[in-house]
Amino acid sequence: MKRLATVVGLSALLGFAFAAEKVQITFWHAFGGGRTAFIQRAVEDFNYTHPGIEVKVEYKGSYRDTLNAAILAAKQGNAPHIVQIFEVGSQLALDSGIFVPIENYVPADLKFQLDDYIKPVANYYRIGGKFNSIPWNSSNPILYYNKDIFKKAGLDPENPPKTFNEVAQACEKIIASKAAPKCITWPLHSWFVEQWIAEQGALLANNENGRAARATNVYIDSEAMKRIMKWWKGLYDKGYYTYTGKPEDWDGANQLFVSQQAAMEITSTSDVTFMQNASFENGFELGTGFLPVPDGVERNGTVVGGASLWLTKGHPQEEQEAALTFLLWFTNTENMVRWHKGTGYFPVLNTSVKVLEWQNWFERNPAYRAAFDQLLQSKANRATQGALIGPFPEIRTIIENMVQEIFQGKDIAKALSEADAQADQALKRYNASVKK
Amino acid sequence: MDTHAAYKSRWLPWVLLLPSFVILILFLYYPTIETFVLSLYQVAFLGLSKSFVGIENYKILFTDPEYLQIFKNTVVFAFFVVIFSMAVGLALSVLANQRVSGWRIYRLLLIWPYALSPAVAGVIFLFMFNPQSGIVNYLLTITLGIAPDWLTNPTLAMGLLVFVAVWKNVGYNVVFYIAGLQNLPGEVLEAALIDGATPWQRFWRVTFPLLSPMTFFLLIINTIYAFFEAFPFVDLLTKGGPSNATNILIFNIYRDGFEYYKTGMAAAQSVILFIAVVFLTILQFRVGEGRVHYGG
Repeated sequence: MKRLATVVGLSALLGFAFAAEKVQITFWHAFGGGRTAFIQRAVEDFNYTHPGIEVKVEYKGSYRDTLNAAILAAKQGNAPHIVQIFEVGSQLALDSGIFVPIENYVPADLKFQLDDYIKPVANYYRIGGKFNSIPWNSSNPILYYNKDIFKKAGLDPENPPKTFNEVAQACEKIIASKAAPKCITWPLHSWFVEQWIAEQGALLANNENGRAARATNVYIDSEAMKRIMKWWKGLYDKGYYTYTGKPEDWDGANQLFVSQQAAMEITSTSDVTFMQNASFENGFELGTGFLPVPDGVERNGTVVGGASLWLTKGHPQEEQEAALTFLLWFTNTENMVRWHKGTGYFPVLNTSVKVLEWQNWFERNPAYRAAFDQLLQSKANRATQGALIGPFPEIRTIIENMVQEIFQGKDIAKALSEADAQADQALKRYNASVKK
Repeated sequence: MDTHAAYKSRWLPWVLLLPSFVILILFLYYPTIETFVLSLYQVAFLGLSKSFVGIENYKILFTDPEYLQIFKNTVVFAFFVVIFSMAVGLALSVLANQRVSGWRIYRLLLIWPYALSPAVAGVIFLFMFNPQSGIVNYLLTITLGIAPDWLTNPTLAMGLLVFVAVWKNVGYNVVFYIAGLQNLPGEVLEAALIDGATPWQRFWRVTFPLLSPMTFFLLIINTIYAFFEAFPFVDLLTKGGPSNATNILIFNIYRDGFEYYKTGMAAAQSVILFIAVVFLTILQFRVGEGRVHYGG
């Protein structure tokens, strides 16, 4: 019996010794499909080159699922070290109080990496002058178009429409010539509306888009919004615009474009790689262009969409340091280059851009170029910084419902003012729940 | 009368019941009570912080026109789902109960949809009813020259959801109705036949009343199905759109609770749904009891 106890005791000790040798880090993200494998490979690389650290990576479902899971895990005291959180969840993540402001913990000799972020990205993720999280996957919307359909319709395949009116004119030709059954599609998603607001230099919330102080008023009933809705409704009524009928249906929109039911699609730059492969498989030539903007408005730029990586509170120092080491490695120059090539997400570091330029990447892969130029040409101001609103997910649904009501024939001015009131109410309730 | 006849110890029955109690309390009673409690709080971030607000959440809900709309949608949805899935289920069972050649295959095929996961069914229907590239509109275009926007029109979207929910649950009703039909006392039907009753009379005067216990049971099960299990179809097909036209209680609870982090509001809605279903079930028992014929 005694001997058994000794053996058990010894092996327990040994177990501890081994555990002490490798620091275990967990990393939760929201990328399914091919991207899961991509991330897994990068993590394996890291574990191989950092013998003291073992990163375990888990796919947790959608952005929302991942955030939910992280909050619940934190509540039970076993939060993952690193969590991927979508951009509109930034205010929520800050308010939840389960994360540390990452910039305070970056070691001095790696600070340079934070200064390396391209301006629009730094612009979005610096909240109160500080990085609270490490930017990772960033994208914005661009126009994809089918060059073959453009040729059939007698349009210049090298000159995609750049403004709202140009889109409408191109659509007229495409539909009249029967080059395609529908002209243009994009997911019925508030994200595009937010982008068009930013392109006009307008704000979506007060207190400088919620950046100077907590937002207390959402601007849905605005001239900028009216312009977008008038145009969109016009396209819809003439049968130029199509969507599957389901809100936020990214795959459905891609399906419409890839199956050549629509000549153009506006969607995220993160689909460049997918679109290139799909257009090749479906036998048409793909073109990309800037996001069309309202006429007579100076192009102000887009908001950086995507997600960033957050570090949770309450871990032993050694684990926190290991997690940070991984984070900075995972988003370093080389890895950002790989990530961009594999997905179409932006290379968010200046040095990564230099590497890609040196490789003549953008010349050899012109489809990636529009995405990137559009981001670099974005002006840095409050509008392109994007809004920080706590109940952003709910406000997105309010905007999407509003669009559908307008399609069904509701007066635009009325729909806007009603949605505005609803959004303000949601924001008021959220703010009240956070203050208590 | 000695109620402890079977057990020597007074405690033994309780001990034997303990495992069931533990499971019921942990997974049923405790969450239910917790939901009632949470519905009186304003909760942020899935419970990281909360403050007592009394019946504020309920007040907000009942004065919100959007919520009343959702309530109305749910009633319409549940009514049609229950009526159609039971009527179609009964009609198909009567047909499948006949000994025609290949009856085994018919029965198997009728039950098939029920075995499919709702998520898979939702995705398949989404593909089929895609307005531009779906098979349904493709066939409608070449035959009738029309291509309805299934999910963009509020009435069509609700109709489609009802159709999918019915299609999915008919198999379940068929299983029970066929079982019911096969257990009918043959002599009663035979007597009716000899008395010269037409097939129509035989069905409505004999078969249908004899099936009433089954119908009653299925009515309750189908009601619960319509209220609680339609979530995947809404989530996958319409997300409650166009502009809340197909948003139903169970979907709104999920959305408020897990997408908008309004746990308190979601809890209040769960309580309302709970009460509504309990009320309906009691009503069905009250009304049903007099009309159900248990034979014997």
